[in-house]
Amino acid sequence: MVQVRLFGMLKTLVAGSNILEMPLADGAQVKDLVDSLQAQYPDLGELLRQKKVVVSVNQEIAHWETALVESDEIALLPPFAGGA
Amino acid sequence: MAVETEADMLVRVQLENFSIDQELERVRARSTKIGGIAMFLGTARDHSKGHDVSSMAFEHYEGMAQKKLKEIRERALQDFDIIEALVLHRYGPIEIGENIVLIIVGAEHRADAFKACQWCIDELKKITPIWKMEYTPQGDVWVEEHP
Repeated sequence: MVQVRLFGMLKTLVAGSNILEMPLADGAQVKDLVDSLQAQYPDLGELLRQKKVVVSVNQEIAHWETALVESDEIALLPPFAGGA
Repeated sequence: MAVETEADMLVRVQLENFSIDQELERVRARSTKIGGIAMFLGTARDHSKGHDVSSMAFEHYEGMAQKKLKEIRERALQDFDIIEALVLHRYGPIEIGENIVLIIVGAEHRADAFKACQWCIDELKKITPIWKMEYTPQGDVWVEEHP
C-alpha cells in the first residue's frame, strides 16, 4: 500500500479525506497509480488524465513513467493558487 | 531543533503575519552594495471574479512549498543582476486587507530589482504548491475549483 496526499479542492472529490491508501504492485509506475485512482474515484481520475492535476513524488513533479515504491511521498496537486 | 540560518529566514512559509520593516531591514543588511530595493506585497482583497469575499485561507504542501520558494530565490540570484531576494508566503486563515505574500529584492540598481521582483512573484504563482480557499456569502470556494 502507498499513501497519497490530497490538497485543495481534491479533498472534496473523495469525501473530505486528505490521505488515500492505495494498493501498489511491485514495479508500479505513476500511470498504474492513476489507473487505480480512476477506478475508485472517476472524477479525480479524469482530472489526472487531463493533466489538470499533477502527481508529485518525493516533492518533485512526476511523469507517467516515474517508478514508485511504498516509501515514496506521493501527492496529488491541483492547480496552484498562491500569491495574492 | 534545527538552527535557522539567514538563508532560511529569507525564504519562509508561515502562519503569522510579517513585519515589512523587519523584512526590508533583513534584505538591506545583506550588503552595502545594495542601492535599489523593489518590493511586492500581496494583500487579501474583498472580491474575486465578480463575487464578494469575506475572508480566505491558504493551504500549502509543507516541505515542497518551502523547497519551491528556495528554488525561486536561488534562480533569481543566479539569473538576475541582484544581490538578495526574500520570498515569504503566509498560510492559514487571512482576513481582508491582511498581508499574504512578500517579495523583496535588493540590487545595485532599480531596473534589475524591479525585473527580478516581478519574476519572483510570477514564478511563485506558477510553481509553488499553495492553494486558496475563499469564504463568500454564497459558500466556500477553492480558487480554481474546476481546474
